Amino acid sequence: MKNRLLLSALLSFLITFIVAPVASFAQDIVVGASVALTGKYARTGQEQLQGFQMWVDDVNARGGLLGRKVALKYYDDESKPETGAKLYEKLITDDKVDLLIGPYSSDVTMAASTVAEKYNFPMVSSGASATQIWERGYKNIFGLYTLAENYMVQILDFAKSKGLKKIALIYENTEFPRAIASGVKSKAKQLGMNVVFEEEYGKASTDFSSMIIKMKTKKPDMVIGGSYLPDSVAFMRQAKENRLYAKIFAFAVGPALPDFGKNLGLDADGVMGNTMFESTLKRPGVKEFAEKYKAKYGHEPGYHAAGGYGAGQVLEDAVKKAGSLDRDKLRAALFSLDTTTTFGRFKVDATGRQIGKRGYAVQWINGNRELILPADVATAKPVYPFKDWNKR
Amino acid sequence: MPSVASRLRSSSAWAGAALVAASALAPLVFNEYYQSFLLQVFIAIALAQAWNLISGMTGYVSFGHSAFFGLGAYGGALFLTWGFPWWLAVFHGAVVAAILSLPLGVLTLRLRGPYFAIAMLGLNEIGRIVATLWVDLTNGGSGITLSPSLLPSLGMQYFTSLALALGATLLVAWIHGNRFGLELRAIREDEEAAEMVGVNTTLNKVIAFVLSALIPGAMGAVYVMYTSFINPGSAFAHTRNVEMIVMVLFGGSGTVWGPIVGAAIIMILREMLWAEFPEVHLALLGVLLLVVVLYLPGGIVSLARRDRRRRPDVAKAEETPP
Amino acid sequence: MELLEPDILLQLLIGGLLAGALYALLACGLNLIFGVMRVINLTHAELMLIGAFGSYVLYTAFGIHPLISLFLIVPVMFVAGYYFQLVLVERVVERPMLDSLLATYGVSIILVNIGLLIFTADFKSVPVLQGSFAIDDIPISEPRAVAGLISVALTVGVYLFLERTRLGKAVRAVSEHAQVASICGIDVRRIRMLTFGLASAMAAAAGVMLSVIYSFWPGSGIDFIQKCFAIIIIGGMGNFVGALYGGILLGVVESFVGAFVSTQWGEAMAYVLLVAVLLIRPTGLKGVARA
Repeated sequence: MKNRLLLSALLSFLITFIVAPVASFAQDIVVGASVALTGKYARTGQEQLQGFQMWVDDVNARGGLLGRKVALKYYDDESKPETGAKLYEKLITDDKVDLLIGPYSSDVTMAASTVAEKYNFPMVSSGASATQIWERGYKNIFGLYTLAENYMVQILDFAKSKGLKKIALIYENTEFPRAIASGVKSKAKQLGMNVVFEEEYGKASTDFSSMIIKMKTKKPDMVIGGSYLPDSVAFMRQAKENRLYAKIFAFAVGPALPDFGKNLGLDADGVMGNTMFESTLKRPGVKEFAEKYKAKYGHEPGYHAAGGYGAGQVLEDAVKKAGSLDRDKLRAALFSLDTTTTFGRFKVDATGRQIGKRGYAVQWINGNRELILPADVATAKPVYPFKDWNKR
Repeated sequence: MPSVASRLRSSSAWAGAALVAASALAPLVFNEYYQSFLLQVFIAIALAQAWNLISGMTGYVSFGHSAFFGLGAYGGALFLTWGFPWWLAVFHGAVVAAILSLPLGVLTLRLRGPYFAIAMLGLNEIGRIVATLWVDLTNGGSGITLSPSLLPSLGMQYFTSLALALGATLLVAWIHGNRFGLELRAIREDEEAAEMVGVNTTLNKVIAFVLSALIPGAMGAVYVMYTSFINPGSAFAHTRNVEMIVMVLFGGSGTVWGPIVGAAIIMILREMLWAEFPEVHLALLGVLLLVVVLYLPGGIVSLARRDRRRRPDVAKAEETPP
Repeated sequence: MELLEPDILLQLLIGGLLAGALYALLACGLNLIFGVMRVINLTHAELMLIGAFGSYVLYTAFGIHPLISLFLIVPVMFVAGYYFQLVLVERVVERPMLDSLLATYGVSIILVNIGLLIFTADFKSVPVLQGSFAIDDIPISEPRAVAGLISVALTVGVYLFLERTRLGKAVRAVSEHAQVASICGIDVRRIRMLTFGLASAMAAAAGVMLSVIYSFWPGSGIDFIQKCFAIIIIGGMGNFVGALYGGILLGVVESFVGAFVSTQWGEAMAYVLLVAVLLIRPTGLKGVARA
């Protein structure tokens, strides 16, 4: 009896030490990433993954990197920072990948980049934009996206040009939405506009009715949301139910995805959002990328997919510049790189923060997502003001 | 009651010593990834023993003990960001959890059985809500990331967690064999009768509760040093509750080896499944829980002895020491 | 503060009442199970989600409107609950309450993770019944109005069943004193199975209603079960009408706190109430919590 117990205990510990086989990617260059395949950021994470995968296919078609084939190893971080951190730990210490691409969303990236910093392993972030990430003195995180604080700049300028003054600002209580909010607040101050309503909501919040009713009493001219996809959709739906009206509705992330229009139907019309890439941009490589993407996945690529693709390209350029996979050489190459990918310009400052990438604004017009700002790249003129609910 | 000396001579003590020695030597043989796996096993063992103390031995089954883990995690993280040395942060985590557990324990321990369980479940959620809404202190939903420069090396973390797991086990073993443990078991079996016989049930329960909060508090701080990141969701995660409960019930509630065996098995399962199949891992825990409740109330260790029908919280006879 | 205008207050009140009706439907079912068998059914929220996901699947795969799915899902869930009781819950009925709590906890974990495997953690919803209509210039959300009214109807229906029909009286007899009921010739086991089936059906109906109002994912259950506990404990465990009032009360409180303080505080109210009541006045609940 006692012996059996002993045996079972010892056995369980023995099993601990005789563990799982290591996957062998012996000759391939392995790029590791955690992707938000489930959870709140799932749609955007999937788009990003598709971008990665297209890049892997393309680079291999061109002969690979340093003469070797590239393979992608990824896991699902469930849109959770703690899971992402553990996964990067696994990718670095267990799977022993050669290159790292960051996860989607600033909050997962905050945690993941800390792991990369711990192991002094440079990581190209393809889906994060909150300035906070680059204010920690880290040396291993390189941004691709425009900074979140600048997402709403053009829309605010546009609003100012129409004489609007009162802003209602709502945002999720995590890194990226807060960064958007802080950007909105400082730009509003600059422009002499007032934030008459401000409220933070939780990552899992889906019921905004009470908030909307309260917002109505402040009679805002425009509503800005630091949001992702599910919350922006839920908000607009409930705004309709509660007859919330404003001359401009603008959200982060959500409106840039095809799902926004699919879920809201005609109710999406008039809603503005930020973007960093649209397939109508007139830059070399964009058209080919968009066509290939659409052929493979059935819809036009949004900026998340393009960001994924661009991150791969940045890695490619860095590896070519460094001439090897050595982490120090790679890091130096990434700091000094100034290149233009399909996604846009890539140039970082001494902290790894992106300073060269341009942002744009989109709007849903007649069931399609159109680029409206700045005027030099616009595919349609902005529709203003937002059509009232009972006039649709 | 066997004396301390005779227990030291027992074979289970030798087995324990062998395991500790093996664990201490492991870093020489295994790479960082497996060291961190073992680190998490030690964390699991300590948590399991803590839960064992209040739920297994005292019979107050808690569905929300991860609340103290969360408190310790935040306590530790804050101390680190305020510039204190890491070992003080671990201490702080334990202290925060212990101090808060005192009034909470006095209030919740007035409830019986399932109501206590549900109250603890609610407390865990309240912990998460406070961490989310008290933005000035905890940075709210964004959580706190700790710069790698603030953290001790993996080796230090490893040995700290090993020491804490060992400490928790020794504590439980010691209590198991002394009068305090006897009184706790009396409370578990029939609280009114225990009162009548002169056991100060309130004092005993509260002491057990505070001890059972202190350990997760310390471990929460260790965990935060390991992951270098904490947010309300991960600090007060439900899955940790489930794991604590299943590890102990499956291993053998109220015993000393039960939590260790249970923790080891669950952690191995987790290691095989978590990256690729997290839902399968959790579903499996649910299945194990059902199996234990329906067929194996004494847990795995009861397979190694005669009375496998002994229910963890409604034991009929005085159990023999492991 | 402009929030105090009667128009606004009325909107908040109506919204709260409608949401509360849904909570009441859910909580009354849970309460029924407790009353009849002294079992705290931790799978209740997942039963609701089965209804919600059922509505989602029927809508996205076959285009069936949720109000029609209601007629399909509710009977199915009644039968499912009936047999679930037979297969599982019966085994833990006679045992201490903790055993059934643990067992149903285990089952709820299994259900949540099966749900995650099938549907993943993305938010789902059924986008029908959009928009609102106005009564006297006050906008009332259409999905919430429909869901709320149906929930009230179902709850009242169950109440009438319990009060007026013979079978309902048998159920009440068992919840009051199972042994005596058994002596009077009532098949207690059968009544228990019926009760669980009925409660499952109510939960699933609440789930279908939920699918048109909120976005949900397999993990949404944890919030709802806690709301149910708060409701039942405030309203009195085993007390059907108490759960009805408690549900509506919670809905209204959430609505007002969400507006006057913040959305997150509104979401927290159920937990705050639950813990506050349990910790501060456990004896105020007919002494049941200290049994």
